[in-house]
Amino acid sequence: MPEREAFPELLSGGPWLPREAWAGWDEPFRTSYAEYVSAQSEKHAAVFAVRDAVGRLDDFARLDPAWVNGLKLHAATLPLAEFAAVVGNLRGARFGRDAAWRTMSALGALDELRHTEIPLQIMHELVRWEPQFDWTHKFYHTNNWVAVAGKHLVDEMLLGSNAIEFAVATHFVFETGFTNLQFVALASVARDAGDRMFEKMLASIQTDEARHAQIGRAVVEVVARHDREYVQFLLDKWFWRSFLFFAVVTGFTMDYLTPVKQRARSFKEFMNEWLVDQYLRSVDELGLARPWYWDTFVEALDTYHHMVYASAYTYRATTWFNFAMPGPEERAWLRRKYPRHWPAFDAVWAQIAARWREADVGNEWAVHGTVMVSLCDTCQLVLCGGTPGRNTANVLEAGGRRYVFCSEPCRWIFERERERYGDHKNIVSRILAGEAPANLIALLQRYFDLWPDTWGKDVFGGDYPWLERPPKPGPAR
Amino acid sequence: MTIPLHGFLQGDTIGLLILAEANDTVRGLASRLQRAASVRVAPRPDDRARVLYRGKPLDPDLTLAHAGIEPLDRFDVIFESE
Repeated sequence: MPEREAFPELLSGGPWLPREAWAGWDEPFRTSYAEYVSAQSEKHAAVFAVRDAVGRLDDFARLDPAWVNGLKLHAATLPLAEFAAVVGNLRGARFGRDAAWRTMSALGALDELRHTEIPLQIMHELVRWEPQFDWTHKFYHTNNWVAVAGKHLVDEMLLGSNAIEFAVATHFVFETGFTNLQFVALASVARDAGDRMFEKMLASIQTDEARHAQIGRAVVEVVARHDREYVQFLLDKWFWRSFLFFAVVTGFTMDYLTPVKQRARSFKEFMNEWLVDQYLRSVDELGLARPWYWDTFVEALDTYHHMVYASAYTYRATTWFNFAMPGPEERAWLRRKYPRHWPAFDAVWAQIAARWREADVGNEWAVHGTVMVSLCDTCQLVLCGGTPGRNTANVLEAGGRRYVFCSEPCRWIFERERERYGDHKNIVSRILAGEAPANLIALLQRYFDLWPDTWGKDVFGGDYPWLERPPKPGPAR
Repeated sequence: MTIPLHGFLQGDTIGLLILAEANDTVRGLASRLQRAASVRVAPRPDDRARVLYRGKPLDPDLTLAHAGIEPLDRFDVIFESE
């Protein structure tokens, strides 16, 4: 069979190169199937030994209530994304252009299956305690706006990409760069928060990621020799998309849902330590450049997850986990960590606290937005780019439609591949087209599948020791 | 006619979808955005609010139809310094 037919460009990826071009393909993390099975078996047993010791329902019930909600956020976004990564790895196992690449991808697919199974098994026990944990499995099967954003990312990166784009996006950008933040830095945060089960789960997954992530650099090296501009485009595209995802999932947890006394470092500090230096060093070694929007990214490290968290707090019923309102101690910590922009966010939290002060404990809707929000046509997330003083959203008219983007990088990604993204309707477009309910409660129940026992609330129902409410007037005599 | 617009209030953290009417005034549009964002940004007097459209301030007494605002456009509400 001709090589081009066995490895069609549609699935193997471009630039299509003859076999000789891949002759030097090399990844350093070599293992045999027997070694792999033996090591994985031991790792798996260790995770469940920890589960039996400290990962039962009673152990979770003793954790800080805000932290538990970070767990719900991760539990929902992680396992079925890992399951999608099984498909991406299997594409590499069949259509990767070197035998070693294909073998490593086959083992990578088995890894991802393990990463699906572990959180599903561990969180399943928690559903009877807290129904929001049901979203561990349910999340990607819903039309919830965060799930639509997650699927928009995951479907493209893990299910729809050819073997080369998958390797660059997933193995190089996502796994080599960002999962260090998730599985190493966040594991240390989990330990500090007293969550040994989550720490063990993340650490166990990371050992797999570190192995199959090696595929990424090897693929980038070969492709960059033949089409540097294309590799640079893929890196820049997936770096931005990955950043937005982790800023929400990990940024929320590190800077808002971890008890302040257990916070050693901020999300920004972890990003700089575990991602920025390492990523810049890697692209430099490969003769590639930092993303063209680097200044925007550096600015966003200071602002983006704060913009989204404050916004999402005031639309918390649209999610499946609960939010904590930062009090004076948390806000002082955030001011120290983010001195440049925090005053603008502090004003927002002062207003939210003022609204709670006027409301009865547990009256969630008194401190909740009711007007529809706008969503980005690339990342599908809320328009939270920039700062409270200058939002970076921008509008594009193309092909008879109007699109809106949260940022210049999201617009650039869209314009580079408009045929890929142009027909997708975000939730707001669906509402305006009459395909989803415009009424908030109807949207939550009939479209997002969120109900009073599962939709997000304030962790403490607005009842904080530091939030003194004015005395209520007594009955008229 | 209802005109959906992306509204951005100075001091806010998110863009909101405002469903305005073609015969609404620019002043009314600013007021509507302030109310929509009031859970995060304390409302300020309407007479201090300025609506920016395509980078330029709009006359508060114009209707949206006269201002040429089109569906899914962006507008900003900013405040004169107090």
